[in-house]
Amino acid sequence: MWYIWDLSILLSALSLAIMLLLIARRVLQERRGRAAADQRRQVLTALIAFTESRDREALKATVLGVPAGVAIDAGFEFIALLRGEERDDVLVAFNECGLPARVARQLRKGNIAERIHAAEMLASLGSDDASANLLAALAQDRAREVRIAAAIALCDLGSLPLLGTALDFIGVAGQRSRRLIELFRRFPRSRFNELAVHASRADASPFVRAAAIDALAHAGGFGFADFFAGLTGDAAPEVVAAALRALGLTGHGQAPAILKRAMANDDWDVRAAAAESAGRLGLPELAAPLSRLLDDEVWTVRYAAANALRSFGQPGELLLREIAASEVSRSQRTASLILAEGPAA
Amino acid sequence: MIADWSHEVVLAATILSWFIIGAGLAQTTVYLLQLVFAGYALSKRPPVARSALLWQRYGDIAPPIALLVPAYNEALNVVESVHSMLALEYPNFEVVVINDGSKDDTLQRLIKAFKLVKFHRPYEEALAHQPIRGLYSSPMTERLFVVDKENGGKADAQNAGINVCRAPLFCVIDGDSILEPDALMRAAQPFIDDPERTIAVGGTIRIANGSSIEAGRVREIHLPRRLLPLFQVVEYLRAFLMARLAWSSINTLMLVSGAFGMFRRAEVVAVGGFTKGSMGEDLDLVIKLHRHMRDKKRKYRIQFIPEPVCWTEAPETLSVLARQRSRWQRGALECFFRYRSMLFNPRYGRVGFLGFGHILIVDVLGPVAEVLGYVLIPAFWLLGILSAEYLLAFTALIFTYGVCVSVCSLILEEAELQRFPRARDLAVLTVAAVIENFGYRQLNNFWRVKGWWQYLRGNQGWGEMTRTGLGAAKK
Repeated sequence: MWYIWDLSILLSALSLAIMLLLIARRVLQERRGRAAADQRRQVLTALIAFTESRDREALKATVLGVPAGVAIDAGFEFIALLRGEERDDVLVAFNECGLPARVARQLRKGNIAERIHAAEMLASLGSDDASANLLAALAQDRAREVRIAAAIALCDLGSLPLLGTALDFIGVAGQRSRRLIELFRRFPRSRFNELAVHASRADASPFVRAAAIDALAHAGGFGFADFFAGLTGDAAPEVVAAALRALGLTGHGQAPAILKRAMANDDWDVRAAAAESAGRLGLPELAAPLSRLLDDEVWTVRYAAANALRSFGQPGELLLREIAASEVSRSQRTASLILAEGPAA
Repeated sequence: MIADWSHEVVLAATILSWFIIGAGLAQTTVYLLQLVFAGYALSKRPPVARSALLWQRYGDIAPPIALLVPAYNEALNVVESVHSMLALEYPNFEVVVINDGSKDDTLQRLIKAFKLVKFHRPYEEALAHQPIRGLYSSPMTERLFVVDKENGGKADAQNAGINVCRAPLFCVIDGDSILEPDALMRAAQPFIDDPERTIAVGGTIRIANGSSIEAGRVREIHLPRRLLPLFQVVEYLRAFLMARLAWSSINTLMLVSGAFGMFRRAEVVAVGGFTKGSMGEDLDLVIKLHRHMRDKKRKYRIQFIPEPVCWTEAPETLSVLARQRSRWQRGALECFFRYRSMLFNPRYGRVGFLGFGHILIVDVLGPVAEVLGYVLIPAFWLLGILSAEYLLAFTALIFTYGVCVSVCSLILEEAELQRFPRARDLAVLTVAAVIENFGYRQLNNFWRVKGWWQYLRGNQGWGEMTRTGLGAAKK
């Protein structure tokens, strides 16, 4: 049993030695940290001065006089506050100081957090080779979070490859991320067709298809109403629910019939989406199926249906009062609860 | 001298010693394994640097969250806590304070501070709980709701909050705790990155004793000035940075702390919410979630991420700490025996083998074996029944490996997170990590054995948790 003792002494001594080294490292870091904070202040002061004087040489002298990492961090935060010509001038100065090259290196060599940040910075700095570096990251980076960040940055630069190709690069695991919603919302109008094609692909993941529909509904407008109406017959409930919510935003001639049919769907999310959209579009002709949904087994559906009825104004309120005054049932309770809900204080 | 004792006595002493040393060896092996897993997980997941970046990145797609704050006799802290929660940096959240039939003026203070008025809000009665006396909202902020209900315990209050809240995610937090401003944004990250599979996320709990607190925010981080909370700082590092991170990396996390945990509402409702009357309602809920998801054969993730931080007040007196530790021990035992069918059950995979195996070794057998060891091993050696080898092996397992594990947790913290602001703090914590193994650890095990005894006797009391108040005491 001696080995238990010997090993414990060895491991404890080793851990204490490592800890002492880390404490020594921290002492050094504290000193460097103070210097870095001073340098950061210098850069920010120079940037503020530049916005008034436009003296590019003075700004460059300050930027080149501090470590590139400090200049990049302070500079990136500052340019987020600038717009127009002022911002362009700062970017030219940064480019002349070689900061984008340094950021590109961080995109290749940093840890995951640094690489994601580098992708965002490259999109802001907008240097000549930013797209090439980001494309390389999209195609080759081993972390899906970085690949998604690179795709978003490329989209901002207008250099995103075809959506199918980009999603292939992002990979199956990355296609579960809500960051895709952000990517799709940044899509330029000229490329909405790609989103539509992807949204109608039966072999694509329902989550991605729903995200594409959501982006089109928010930015594409009525032009896609027929397309959404077509997708309400899809086999994937997630896609159908997204299409119904999209119809609630755009409206459609066939909306009452489509929503009525959807209110009888087996999937509760589809029924809830149909009820929400009926309320948003203000379709009092759907009052009868909506009042049937007040008896739905899922609370979310009942609540959406009651809210939709209430949004119809007086006719809906009257119907709710009638149901609330009827015999005790699930519908009656839902109606009385929704009627009791006053505005929060 | 060994020859003086009969063969039977020596044999019995040897078997007993091997049981004690075996339990210690198993426990140490688990800890060392956890260190390796945690180190690997941390190296793969470097922290996100600034919260401003998070907001820029996730602000538009962050899911709505309801912050559930059960409050029972929290008049001392509740207003300041709610103010700090309302000031959190998150785009879409509501704060639901549940006054669990407080005997003090918790509700009155809230009504006065936020000009609360009664209102009606329809909600799904998905979970059972004590009757709600009234719902309140505030004209000062649309984010705040207060549920006033009859007393039913913490789990009951949380269930009422789950019923009333409307967000797809909810976050439970203690009424006397303080969340870092970016904690929600950081904790929501797994729900953004993998929204279909992530069902629960736990963050780090840190001890605020000694730090300077103003307006419900931790302004300056300092170590506690008293020894007892200082030891708890090391303990929490071990628990969060080592154990939870390790098991989280292999999806075997068994505990998302009730003091700060985020859950997907639908799954929690599906398992019946928090178990009322449970001593370890947080552990109980996570076990139920594992069981539910595995029974349904659904893919899921229950994650711990170290970056989101919730500050809490640690007990500063032996009597309060003793009650807390005995209660935690009863909670662990209660859950272990309630869900014992999951232990080593292949149907539950890693959760059954590693998760429950960990509870068996560390919480069920660990304290009993260790306390037995303190008495028997030195006695056997002094009486000449066993050789010094046994004493040395036991000493190594308790003291020297204990030092190694505590210091290694500190190494993980410093190498990857660096959340203690000064080098001096690290030096103080290193000393604390060594000396906590000589006295504090033994006390802790004694309290845990007491918890065992209380569990066997069916003692279900929570015990009084005396607090000084985070804002009041440490400015």
